[in-house]
Amino acid sequence: MLVDLIRQDLGLTGTKKGCGTGDCGSCTIILDGSAVKSCLILAVEVDGSEILTIEGLQSGGKLHPLQEAFIQYGAIQCGFCSPGMMMSAKAFLDQCPKPTEEEVKMALSGNLCRCTGYRKIIEAILAVAQKENPLSALTKESPSKKG
Amino acid sequence: MGEDASVIGKRIPKIDSIYLATGEAKFLDDTHLPGMLYGKVLRSPHPHARILRIDTKRAAQLPGVKAIITADDTTKIKFCHLPITPNKMVLEDDRVRFVGEEVAAVAAIDEEIAREATELIQVDYEPLPAVFDPEEAMKIGAPQLYEDCPNNIASHFTRQFGDIEKGWREADQIFEDRFTCPPVVACTMEPHGCVASYDASGNLSIWTTTQNPYNTQKALSGILKMPMHHIRVLNTFVGGAYGNKSVILPMEPIAAFLSQKAQKPVKLVNERWEEFIATRTRYAMVISLKTGIKKDGSITAREARVVTNNGAHNNKGPGITLLTCNRIGNLYRIPNSRTEAWVVYTNNQYGDALRGWGGPQAHFAVESQMDIMADALNMDPLEIRLKNANQPGDTTAWGWKMTSCGFSECLQEAAKSCQWPLKRTQKGFRGIGIASVIHTGGGSMGTHGGGNFSEVSLKMNIDATVSVLTGDSEIGQGSDTIIAQIVAEELGIPLGNVKVTSRDTDVTPVSMGTWGSRVTFIGGNAARMAAAEALRKLFLVASKMLEVTEGDLAARNGKIYIKNSPNPVLTVAQVAFESIVKRGQTITSKATYFPPNTSPPDLKTGYGNYCPTYAFGAHVAEVEVDVETGKVKVLQITAVHDIGRALNPLLLEGQVDGGVAMGIGYALLEKLQWKDGFTLNPSFCTYKIVNAPEMPPIQTMFIETIDPHGPFGAKGIGEPTTIPTAPAIANAIAHAIGVRIKDLPITPDKILQALKEKERK
Repeated sequence: MLVDLIRQDLGLTGTKKGCGTGDCGSCTIILDGSAVKSCLILAVEVDGSEILTIEGLQSGGKLHPLQEAFIQYGAIQCGFCSPGMMMSAKAFLDQCPKPTEEEVKMALSGNLCRCTGYRKIIEAILAVAQKENPLSALTKESPSKKG
Repeated sequence: MGEDASVIGKRIPKIDSIYLATGEAKFLDDTHLPGMLYGKVLRSPHPHARILRIDTKRAAQLPGVKAIITADDTTKIKFCHLPITPNKMVLEDDRVRFVGEEVAAVAAIDEEIAREATELIQVDYEPLPAVFDPEEAMKIGAPQLYEDCPNNIASHFTRQFGDIEKGWREADQIFEDRFTCPPVVACTMEPHGCVASYDASGNLSIWTTTQNPYNTQKALSGILKMPMHHIRVLNTFVGGAYGNKSVILPMEPIAAFLSQKAQKPVKLVNERWEEFIATRTRYAMVISLKTGIKKDGSITAREARVVTNNGAHNNKGPGITLLTCNRIGNLYRIPNSRTEAWVVYTNNQYGDALRGWGGPQAHFAVESQMDIMADALNMDPLEIRLKNANQPGDTTAWGWKMTSCGFSECLQEAAKSCQWPLKRTQKGFRGIGIASVIHTGGGSMGTHGGGNFSEVSLKMNIDATVSVLTGDSEIGQGSDTIIAQIVAEELGIPLGNVKVTSRDTDVTPVSMGTWGSRVTFIGGNAARMAAAEALRKLFLVASKMLEVTEGDLAARNGKIYIKNSPNPVLTVAQVAFESIVKRGQTITSKATYFPPNTSPPDLKTGYGNYCPTYAFGAHVAEVEVDVETGKVKVLQITAVHDIGRALNPLLLEGQVDGGVAMGIGYALLEKLQWKDGFTLNPSFCTYKIVNAPEMPPIQTMFIETIDPHGPFGAKGIGEPTTIPTAPAIANAIAHAIGVRIKDLPITPDKILQALKEKERK
């Protein structure tokens, strides 16, 4: 499978394998511009294609805005789903640069996360679409009250 | 520090996120050792059978197979997490008791060959009668799992406090209801896995997905008959655990035995279907709850009979069931209570902790019944809860001492921020429901003799940076970040100066690891104490350099000040250099925190204050029910938690979001569908967890009660976030359509059935 080629033969272990049956989305990569689950694709099928994995998301030593936003918005907890999430998000934003919240949610429907409840992931993606400064996540008022 | 706090209370991203955002973080399956082999486990296809013969000859002839093991290649030592009858073996030798039980294992040069080899192992079984329902299993004449365990009862106990008969007499009304909670699985995105490797002198290094390295080391030491110092347990990054990875699976010793035999490192990683059928579930329970109440809404007595499906083996069944009972007896001011519990063997996979240690089950029952009673008494569900809420300074009938307690504030704030009175009167198929939570805010002395301590050690470098070692595990929840914040705050240095290392038994201090929402409180206190000791050493030298007394000094943002004077007089780095290099006095420290205000529960009665603090919260769920299809849409969750002090709101919100998501799954979606011992839904395609489109908006709020013993006043958050969600949703559904579902998950078919019955009446 393509996921094994990427992880074992190419040693690019940023792409994760969570189920092997195309249900969890941890192995999502971008194949010729579309987000696909690499555990469902035979390696031989992609001969001549362009593949982007999480390792290729940053450029020139600078984090991609999605990576920056995922960090600053607290969208990463255990982080196992994060590479797949970001690849889904990138392919989606490339095709739909000004999405609504509902559209972002639908775009992530094939990527499961058990830690975050998705909310901060959605916030991070919307912030990237709106070109918000990721540091604005850190100055938000905290919802605390003295007891 | 108070108002001067510079990194406490700030929204600080997890300090390890950069590795996770770039794909650089190495998880278990990303680990590769030279010459490493791949393991696979042969599992039982029968729920209950005698093993007559195992023939591995054909498998051994398959090219690429390097080792095959059966029980005869192991020590056959039985293990169990709690100090109760151990009855699980790494590989079973004479009998299997659930589908998926480990029978043999193979190591080969790749996964495919290993898998093929397991299929070539021939096992002759003699199927035995099996029993799957715990209440059936308790009956006379039911198939027996263990000869020495009549009626399959692994554990039976009662706890009684106050005078229950007096409580019934004082009640104006008595309510009796029966609730059922399903088996659910952790569904960590990273499957369980391990890599075992021996060196030339026989030392074992094992990388595992555990959230509790010392637990793993201890268990392996017993099973492998190896002294602990020969076993090094290490974590890679852990891809989710939620309390479910604190106890070894058979896979760790299996990998070790395979590695011994093959003389090579062996990796074993569960496939996703194995995660569903052969890891450990949140215990399924049946809870019969009886509550006596006065007309004014005050509870006079509560009795519970709990039947826990222990599954095929002992693990944490009695402990978790006891915690279910103590939640039932301690949520609200209950003067008289009695709980009786049976933990019963069945031919199903066995259970473990999963975010809440029996709390989700207890709260679903109690909080559903609170609404049933409120309805009958014509009281507002909010009022009945406020009427009975635990208060600061209370000692419950069970002996729990409430220090900080923002229970009432949580209820009031939750109701206020979602227009509770208005929405309670709404018509149509929309409903709003509330539910509370009580939980430990910092681990527990243990129901079966466990302790509750953590240790942190640190060393300051000459440039005022600090390397911190903690014995508790970062598993995605952000504990390394919280420890770093506490150390930075106490030492008065920037957060970026602190590096935290966790999860290596050769290196990191002895601690009890991550469970029971305890690391912020217990590990955090240890971190604060260790930092305070380092600061004392720093100030001692600084005071000599400046010819002032130590008490005159303060450290802030890497600089040292004379108190009440605005300009710094030295940098921390200058003092560190002076102390370490010029005086040979290294700035190192270590501290162990063992909560002073707890003791183990009384062995006979169970009375005692075994948690150092208690965490409270309230969730309000708003739902819309489609009465044509039975489908429930969660419109919003409002989550208010008493966290003592919000050390890092960004991470706290993340815990709430994740806990609520899990709680929605528990309420509406999740259940292992067992039929005759087989799991019918062993995939994410058939076992649904909440996905992004199903996630409602969440309003989160934190009540800061400043716990007297918490580090900077903080207490734990991990587990309380998921506990009240399911009953809040159940209550909202009842409010929306006037039917009460007492059996989780609340699926469309149950709603339609209940609506039909309501119509008939």
